[in-house]
Amino acid sequence: MNNQQAFTIATDDISTDPTVDPTTQRKHAAMIERLSNLHQSRVSSKSNVKDPSFESTQSFLLVFTNSKQAIETSLAQIQQIPDSNLNHDLKSDLERISLSISDLEKLVAENSYFLPPYEVRSSLKTISDLKQTLDSVTSKVKPRKKFSFKNKPAKKSETANVLVDAVNKNEPEHQSSYKVKDSPGFRSKENEVLVKEFKSSEVGEYVLSDLTNCEVRLKGCFRTLFINRLQNCKIYVGPVLGSILIEEVEGCLFVVASHQIRIHHAKQSDFYLRCRSRPIIEQSVGVRFAPYCLSYDGIESDLKESNLYDDAGNWANVDDFQWLRAVQSPNWSILPENEHIDSVKI
Amino acid sequence: MGLLSIIRKIKRKEKEMRILMVGLDNSGKTTIVLKINGEDTSIISPTLGFNIKTMTYDKYTLNIWDVGGQKTIRSYWRNYFEQTDGLVWVVDSSDLRRLDDCKFELDNLLKEERLSGASLLVFANKQDIQGALSPDEIAKVLNLDAMDNTRHWRIVGCSAYTGDGLLEGFNWLVQDIASRIYVLD
Ligand SMILES: Nc1nc2c(ncn2[C@@H]2O[C@H](COP(=O)(O)OP(=O)(O)OP(=O)(O)O)[C@@H](O)[C@H]2O)c(=O)[nH]1
Ligand SMILES: [Mg+2]
Repeated sequence: MNNQQAFTIATDDISTDPTVDPTTQRKHAAMIERLSNLHQSRVSSKSNVKDPSFESTQSFLLVFTNSKQAIETSLAQIQQIPDSNLNHDLKSDLERISLSISDLEKLVAENSYFLPPYEVRSSLKTISDLKQTLDSVTSKVKPRKKFSFKNKPAKKSETANVLVDAVNKNEPEHQSSYKVKDSPGFRSKENEVLVKEFKSSEVGEYVLSDLTNCEVRLKGCFRTLFINRLQNCKIYVGPVLGSILIEEVEGCLFVVASHQIRIHHAKQSDFYLRCRSRPIIEQSVGVRFAPYCLSYDGIESDLKESNLYDDAGNWANVDDFQWLRAVQSPNWSILPENEHIDSVKI
Repeated sequence: MGLLSIIRKIKRKEKEMRILMVGLDNSGKTTIVLKINGEDTSIISPTLGFNIKTMTYDKYTLNIWDVGGQKTIRSYWRNYFEQTDGLVWVVDSSDLRRLDDCKFELDNLLKEERLSGASLLVFANKQDIQGALSPDEIAKVLNLDAMDNTRHWRIVGCSAYTGDGLLEGFNWLVQDIASRIYVLD
């Protein structure tokens, strides 16, 4: 494991803009060597330490950190090659890194049965970061079209790209041939106020989709709510017994209460929540959270009936599935009190 | 082979089964596991990572791996494939919009070599919701009939909310696995 030492040079700043370096060629050769050492150490560590399971968090973390740093170093080496020199065949290097990341992933899985949950979460997060870096390096080295390395990568703004990608991926790859019915709900409306009142015995699902500049008021309890593709809407909802799934919304205001709240692909939106469990976000940016502030005649008994009368403060316990670490996620924040809307009566 | 699998082999009591529960986020996996284990299901957060439950069913010890289905963590599913005896695919039968997504992920999973011997139970969950599709409809949407004919599979409608169907599903799964693995006793 001696050669591991060589990899542990500072690698924090892997995104540093590479300045043109006259000794790039030499560096490149050195990198190839390091990569192959990395590979060797991986192979030999496999045969020496036959069983990648340690039953001790400390020894797991030691090995995990070493491998992580080795991978980061390799990635940093490739990133430091100026674009003009990227015409080397780096494919096998990238594949090797990808293999190392898979091994690391396996290591976590194999040790996960004794690791504390936080270590599992943060290790998984580290792996997903490494994969992301690898992806971005790969796309730089192998721009979209294979064998056309001279193509400059498109200069679109990165965030826009990310969103488009993510949304595209959401699109069904195969349309199933079996056509299903639609759930009740409001769909494809613009500039309208949409009101629906549920009787307290409702056991159905409800859908809000493709709404622009609308205000929606749903009074009473019902069982589950699906929200999809909203722009600049205000959504006021009584207690939902099961879960609320919110996807692809932008510039919206939500005042909702539910046992579970899941938010995907949201941008610049405010959520006033009451939630029995931890609300979660995924692939979202600029989302802010505050406590529930809705009233209508009879809301108290609706809240009691659905076990949502007490606010356990969970509206602030947001988990960002793309930011599983102890420090605050940059994607969400607590809405400052002086910016709260007044309590809403519908 | 990692140590975990070796340990498992050693520790593996004769009547142990490893069951992997997967499916899209929000489909109800964790609720199902807690419900059959007789635990409180009123406060459940979306699963970050996974939960393992060991329970006894009949004369068997089930190790149930409930793995989170949020999109960003689906790529970790494959870390849990090794040595899976039974696969439980949970569907939110009221989430009509994401059924294509659901089919796509299931199709991918079933291509997986390491899962090729596992019995497959599809739970058409949330049958208590008014607009939920029936198990037959879910089977059509997922095109289960087109599955490789060496696979042992079954679809069962259920509600983790009321508990309906859960035992029927697990009963089939356990018997099916038992008939393959413990055929000698
Ligand atoms: N009405 C109804 N709601 C259900 C049922 N099963 C689960 N739910 C609700 O669906 C939501 C999601 O349930 P979970 O068990 O957290 O789902 P999961 O599949 O574990 O989700 P991930 O951990 O993200 O993969 C919760 O709000 C549950 O209360 C059911 O049978 N009927
Ligand atoms: Mg879960």
